[in-house]
Amino acid sequence: MMTCHDVIDVLSDYLDHVLTPEVAADLERHLAGCEPCRAYLATYRRTRALGAQAARLEMPDEMKARLRQFLLERVG
Amino acid sequence: MTSDEHGLLKDAAAGDSVALEALMSRYGSRVYRLAYGITRSAADAEEIAQDVFLQLVRKGGAFEGRAAVASWIYRVTTNVALNKRRGKRREVETSLDDCLPAYEADGHRAGSRAFLVADWSARPDAELLSGETRRVLDEAIDRLPEHYRAVLILRDVEELSNDEVAASVGDSVSAVKTRLHRARMALREILTRTLGPPA
Repeated sequence: MMTCHDVIDVLSDYLDHVLTPEVAADLERHLAGCEPCRAYLATYRRTRALGAQAARLEMPDEMKARLRQFLLERVG
Repeated sequence: MTSDEHGLLKDAAAGDSVALEALMSRYGSRVYRLAYGITRSAADAEEIAQDVFLQLVRKGGAFEGRAAVASWIYRVTTNVALNKRRGKRREVETSLDDCLPAYEADGHRAGSRAFLVADWSARPDAELLSGETRRVLDEAIDRLPEHYRAVLILRDVEELSNDEVAASVGDSVSAVKTRLHRARMALREILTRTLGPPA
């Protein structure tokens, strides 16, 4: 039987669907009876999405223009 | 990676401005995101992007087609950004250990029940990505070591596989997986301390 520690250690692999079917089933059995681990999984998954959204930047247009100018001056 | 990207790289290296524009259009924001993610400075990220694209046109002609163009670009960007950060790091890098889950001897997590079951995951983006929570999230990302931020960007924003990230940052797959998991756990913990009840 997995402990909370065991579950959290493999959470990333669980979300990547790379655990063996046996380990994934064991983890899901643990989740079914463990509210803290269900909360952990939900917030871990949400954190992954939030971190990605916060870091999803585009290069500003004026910076693109400066980069283009910089390169054309050197290789044009 | 497509063979036309190898062609673009060769053409840009040979002075073809149309090919250079195409590479900039395809990779400009990706290079900027990664550079900003590592340095957390727009000015540094701009200098890094200039350096990276200059390397692409100067060295792209010698690029061997066996490797993926994207991996090469990410690797160059990571190296340039980490070099730029050298000497700028805080004297003592903050340890992440106090942001990782603590456990009892029997494998249960330590902490108050109210904190352990706190689930803020259903709150809307508008609340989580603005105001005080956004500030906390940005500070939490700042607090991660640079290598962790690089992995987080490549994996969770660019959606590369663990193998591709490892090739891009020059680390083992197991190191990439460890850093990614620790980074996400640290961010989750810091957010939960802000959004949930006291530990």
